[in-house]
Amino acid sequence: MRRVVTREDVKTYAEVGGDGNALHLDDETARVRGFDGVIAHGMFTMGHLAACVAAWAGDPAAITAISAQFRAPVFMGQEIVTGGRVRTLDPGTRTAILALWVTSERDGETEWPIKRGEATVRLL
Amino acid sequence: MPRLDDADTVPAVNLEAEGKVYPAVAFVVEPERVGAFREIFGLPGGIPPTFLAVAEFVVMPTVIDDPELGMDFPRVLHGAQEYELIRPPREGETLWIGARLDSIKVRGGTTFLVIAMEVVDETGAAVTRTRSTMIERTAS
Repeated sequence: MRRVVTREDVKTYAEVGGDGNALHLDDETARVRGFDGVIAHGMFTMGHLAACVAAWAGDPAAITAISAQFRAPVFMGQEIVTGGRVRTLDPGTRTAILALWVTSERDGETEWPIKRGEATVRLL
Repeated sequence: MPRLDDADTVPAVNLEAEGKVYPAVAFVVEPERVGAFREIFGLPGGIPPTFLAVAEFVVMPTVIDDPELGMDFPRVLHGAQEYELIRPPREGETLWIGARLDSIKVRGGTTFLVIAMEVVDETGAAVTRTRSTMIERTAS
């Protein structure tokens, strides 16, 4: 699942998610922090990842665990792409463990906004 | 000990704050909030798995503003996040979120803080457990 991250999205996430850190809203603040401009919340990218897993599983309630490491910033206008594979599958408990990641292209380089993502899914 | 009024000194993180527990705070799972969250991520129904990040942010300001902790939160970045989703929250229910400073480590010029949070329902049963890794580069 791909998604282009817009300033509007991040602003909405800041309001709904309750994280109004200026790093995600104000370019000047982001630059003072060493970034070229506003970056998305790690939790915004993780929310997107979780939604992808929920779509795959067929039900958000099927996800019993999810984790991620935030390894690269996501700037406005970048497209984030979710990837994953089934790492293990236990037919007895009907549980799958997924390895997950989110990549994004920036200046011709592939970056990893999320690395070492993992989710445990109870299959229907 | 660095003097807090010395403009050239960045206050060091207080390693002794490790283990500190913050009082639980109530959070109501408001249907409108859930709906707005669903809309952001395009979920057709159900509770988005990372919805309780909203609840975490009810407690975060207390941790962020804690002078006893001594981290410079405007300089902190979110390094990692883990969720153990024991059961989905229910719309309308009241949950309680408690936070604990699970570990504070300084390696090289970087401080790693892991905040563990537990979300329980009104019967005290666990709903979700989370671990947030926050990173501050303290070396100038």
